[in-house]
Order: sequence, then structure tokens, then C-alpha cells
Amino acid sequence: MKSLTLDRASFWYAATQSPALRAVSLDVAQGEVVALVGALGAGASTLLLVAADLAPRVIGGRLEGSMTRRDRSGIVLPTPWTQISGMAFTVWDEVAFGPANLGWPTHEIARQVNRALERLELLPLASRDPATLSGGELQRVIIAAILAMDPGLVLFDEPAAELDAAGAAMLWQLIRVLAREGKAVLLATSAVDALPDVADRVVWLEDGAVRAVGTPDLLADGAACDAGLGTSIATVWRAGGLPAPYPLTVAHAVRGRP
Amino acid sequence: MIAALRLEEVSFSYGSVPALERVSFSVAPGERVALLGRNGAGKSTVVRLIAGLQRPDEGTVWVGDWDTRDCVPEQLAWRVGSVFQHADQQLFARTVRDDVSFGPRALGVGEREVERRTDRALEDLDLTAHAGHHPYDLPPALRKLTALAGALASEPALLVLDEPTIGLDRTLRARVTRALLDRSAGSVALLVITHDLTFAAETLERGVVLDRGSLACDESLAALLGDVTRLEPLGLAPPPVAALSAALDLPGRPVRAADAAAALARVARGKPVP
Repeated sequence: MKSLTLDRASFWYAATQSPALRAVSLDVAQGEVVALVGALGAGASTLLLVAADLAPRVIGGRLEGSMTRRDRSGIVLPTPWTQISGMAFTVWDEVAFGPANLGWPTHEIARQVNRALERLELLPLASRDPATLSGGELQRVIIAAILAMDPGLVLFDEPAAELDAAGAAMLWQLIRVLAREGKAVLLATSAVDALPDVADRVVWLEDGAVRAVGTPDLLADGAACDAGLGTSIATVWRAGGLPAPYPLTVAHAVRGRP
Repeated sequence: MIAALRLEEVSFSYGSVPALERVSFSVAPGERVALLGRNGAGKSTVVRLIAGLQRPDEGTVWVGDWDTRDCVPEQLAWRVGSVFQHADQQLFARTVRDDVSFGPRALGVGEREVERRTDRALEDLDLTAHAGHHPYDLPPALRKLTALAGALASEPALLVLDEPTIGLDRTLRARVTRALLDRSAGSVALLVITHDLTFAAETLERGVVLDRGSLACDESLAALLGDVTRLEPLGLAPPPVAALSAALDLPGRPVRAADAAAALARVARGKPVP
């Protein structure tokens, strides 16, 4: 079942002439992970803001076409320090801020908060002041705070940007678990090397429009490599002058070694 | 030659939470050093100590021949250009140009020199077309580059950059690599904190690894990344190119994309790799 549907959605930021999104049509189903890739200004972050119903409802601008959601959404922004409530003096209270504002009973808030902290491996930090955390720790807190509200549609903008290797691996696995639980996940990321193991579908955005949609194999396509969107392995293979099809991952490369 | 940066037995705690314990390393002029480690390993604390925003509890941080304990941040800005992890917090002017020129202007250099440095920094990072934009009208990636351009424009002897490639795509990362290699060739010392080991492999030459506040490793970055079995215990994951080199046992175990591509091409043609 579709969780999110964009139908020929175009969006203009306030006081701009050209649209940041151009007639984008896209579905995200429950249980599906869809990744948005593209160069700077391609429209991935804008698409997430539209899907979160923040654009134009909160930030202004103009939307043509339609955006329809079946589920409540939660969005993890690319700048986690701007998403912190500033109202909490412990990590536990920070993660509880969202569920409390949904008006849930206390026992349900506690259950969701503890589950989210456990999933993000944050229980040892539960009593810490969020202001004392490292960037990666804070990013995990924000992700936990969004998941604690149990959104059916989870939107991530560069969710692994501040995470170390273990944190990033944990997050990518968690995203697959969220999909298995039936959540719809839409994420924008420049970490294309992670996508073969994470995404069901990849949407390549260019200048606000959809250029291509496909499986993660799209990231081994010659055109994607030339646009800087191929995986590192595909890009190296192509740069070495080896013939297509290019391997997507190290495992694929080993199977097709020269 | 005096090191651009030298940490001598530096320890620091946030209240009762220890962050660094007897950390020592140095960076020579023109050297390009990656400061690596897990989240919470103490890397960003090192940045704050170098910028003079914190004072070590024990030990000494030397910037050239200045003991940072004797300096306020404004003085240190003569020698250190910093980009903090949350670079948005460094941006305050109404245009990108005004923001980038703030550093050299605050240093008191002449207006013509301010313009020269600003133009050069904007060109180095391909930001000239955005010079008249408000920084907050730009996407986060370009705001990060704006903060970096501000650090470049001060033309310091030492650049300390905390996660300069967050949110940047491959094209923008290459732009940053190009600018940093250019500054390094002019004897600017680089200390770069990053989880982006692909960027580190392309840009930097030495790896200093912190683990739970202590120095765990200080050696050639190519050697470290080329030995993938050592990375996981340090909280690091091999970048894909290094993993590919190891998996295919490419001669020389290249960790940079161009070197790996050349090695692959030679292997495919059945030629020995020099």
C-alpha cells in the first residue's frame, strides 16, 4: 500500500522564478526504502520537505500538482543541531519531547522512548545533557526522537553524515528493519556506496526532475558514474577502462575480477 | 623547522567526563594530516583546543611557537583557520562575500589584500557565482563551503577542518580536495577531522587516530587504509577503493581511485604493475 504519492509535483521557493522540483511523480510503498540521489541542487532535500508537508505549509513557496500521504511522517533534517528541542536537559527527555507533544499516555511515551534509545544504541547516554554530545551522538539522538513518534513514513536527509563507521552501519541496518516492520522510508543521501544494501529503488534527480528510476544497479550505470553518482567501485572500474557492466560493490567486483 | 601544530601530552575533561588523555602529535608546514576515530573519541575537542576555545587541563598545545594557553582566539586566528563541525554557526554576514572577507578584514590587512584573498578563496571553491547570495539561501553543502572559504581567505599557516565534506557529493568533495592540495603546496599545514575515508585517501597523507581520548595510531594514511584488518578495531571502516584493492589483491594496495583504476587496467591487460 502506498504511503506517499507525489503526482506531477512542482515546487517554487518563495521569491524564486524557477522551480526547485519539476513535475515529480513518485510513490513510496509501506515496507519500501527509496533513495534519492543527485548533484547539488537536484531537488532531493526539497522533495523531502514537500513529503514532510513542511513545504509549502510551513516554509512558504508554491506547490503545483499534489502530495498525498497515508501515514504520519517524521523527518530527520541534515543539520541535527537545528532539530534539537532546546527544552530538555537529558537525552531521554529530548527523545520524549515529540511523543509527549502527541499527547500519548505516559507509559506509551516511556515504551517508545526506551525502544528508540535501544535501537540507536543510546541507552548509555540517556542521562547525558544533549548539549555535551558529539555530532554523531547528537545525530543518533535526533533519529531516535523521530522514531519514538512511530511515524509510518520516515524521511531522512543525509542521515549518516555525522556518524562514524559503526554508527553508519547500524543506521543502514536499522533502515532495513524499519522497512520490514512496514514503514515507508524515503532518504536523500550522498553516501551512494551504502545504497546497494539499503535501497529497494533509487531515484536519480537532476535539476528538480526525475532523470531515472531503478534498482540500485542504476548506480553502476555509465551515465551515473559520469555524473558523480556511481558507486566508488563502479566508478573505478569505468575509470580503469574495463568493460561494462560495471560492478556495483566489492563483492560484485570479486565475482567479475579482470 | 618549527611545527605548525604540536600537542604535548594534552589532557582535557568536560567536568567529570574525560575527553583527551596525554595526546601528543605534531603537524609540519605543508603536511596533510587526517584526525580519525569513533564518534566521541575526542577529535572535535582537539579542534576547540587549537582554536583557543578551550584550555588543556594538562600539557600544551603549540601553534607555531605560541602556547595557546597564552593566547585568546582572536590572536590564534592569525595562524589558525578553523571550520567547525556545525559550520552554519560560523556564518553571520548578509552575503557570501561579506562572510568570506570577514576573516582577513578582522586581521587588519589592507582592503586591496582583503579583496584579493576573498576572490581567491571564492574561486578556489567555485563560489564566485554565489558571492552575492545570503548564506542561508544556499543549501547546507554550499554553506559548508562558504565557511571553508572564510577559513581559506584568512590565509593561515594551519587549517583545522572538522568534517568539511558532510553532505557534499563527489563533485563537491573533489572541489574541496583540489583547494586543499593547492593550499598545502603553498606550505599550509592541514589537520582534517573526517569520517569520510574516501575523501581522506584522496586528500591527506598521514593518519592520526584517537580512540577513547588516547592516541591509538600515527602513520602514513595509505599504509593504514591499505591494511583493512587494522581498521575495524580502531572504529574505522575501509573505504570502498581500499576494500577493492584488498579483495582483488591489487599490487601496491592502492587506496586512491585513480591509482586503483590504473592498477585494474594493468591487471586487465596482463601487464605488471610498476
